Amino acid sequence: MRPFLLKLGATALTLGATLASSLYVTAHLKNPSAPLQPTVLASQQGRSVGGVTITPGVRRGDVQPVTSTYAS
Amino acid sequence: MRPSSSVEAHHFEALGTSCSLFGAGVTRSQLLQGEFWVRELGTRITRFSDHSELALLNGAEGEWVDVSAEMECLLREALRAYELSAGLVNAAVLPSMLAIGYTRSLTAGASSAKLEDARPAPRLPDVLSLQPGRARLELGCGVDLGGIAKGWMADRLAARLGPNALANLGGDLRAAGSGPDGDGWPVGFAGVTVMLRDQGAATSSVRRRRWGDLHHLIDPRTGLPSRSGLGEVSVVAATGCDAEVVAKTALLLGPGLATAYCAAHAQAWWLS
Repeated sequence: MRPFLLKLGATALTLGATLASSLYVTAHLKNPSAPLQPTVLASQQGRSVGGVTITPGVRRGDVQPVTSTYAS
Repeated sequence: MRPSSSVEAHHFEALGTSCSLFGAGVTRSQLLQGEFWVRELGTRITRFSDHSELALLNGAEGEWVDVSAEMECLLREALRAYELSAGLVNAAVLPSMLAIGYTRSLTAGASSAKLEDARPAPRLPDVLSLQPGRARLELGCGVDLGGIAKGWMADRLAARLGPNALANLGGDLRAAGSGPDGDGWPVGFAGVTVMLRDQGAATSSVRRRRWGDLHHLIDPRTGLPSRSGLGEVSVVAATGCDAEVVAKTALLLGPGLATAYCAAHAQAWWLS
């Protein structure tokens, strides 16, 4: 009887921990405004060309632009 | 690269600045309709006319006023910009704009400044209330939409022009679709060319719209023109409005924090 109770207790503990952790994660969604860790920041900073930082989400071109962004 | 023959281009002056529209597979008539839309909406959201929709809201003395669908969207975007910028892009800076002498279009010149009247801006969500078709400003408050309007309009205009178009309203632009040759719209960005696909770009600067020691970019924390140490910021982001908000926020943050902010919110940036 005692081994069975121990197994039952261990199983309940495992399931409880799993349930509690999933509830905690669900209730604490990623905050996109949270400060980034330096390693993540470095990976997102992309490469700097002539003072311009371009991440992988933007492709450079070698053609004449049709228009530009500028201060007005 | 010059626009290929299938790209129609149209340039005009509106909103106190130069505007350019491009579309692949669009007609000249569509671009002219786009210009009309810019001019018509521009007359409603300007604060330089006593009869504009914005002027009526600013002058309502705390009463609810009916607003058009576009104005309601723009005001909601102003609230979103406030959140995205942690309060730095705050449309409620109008009293400070007036205090520094920016009371009319700068083509007519600034009026005399009364810097003692400038004050930190209130939190926009505290003074601007919105309901479907209606808006209300707290008594004594006013909003200026110049900080987000061009980017917001460029986003809508690009969508109106078709699936493959670019709208540039005074440097705040939105590129939609894959561009004239399928590899993006080539856009000049701080001296380099970037190929934009469904992205926006904008530049915020204190080097234009200056008079004397003053300029138009108000820091809502002080109510005075920004002295962050940055003079100009260009940004590529997901939309034209986001690019405008991120560029302005980075400029107000100054060199110490702007890079980290841009890394979190922009896809390309240039700080000067």
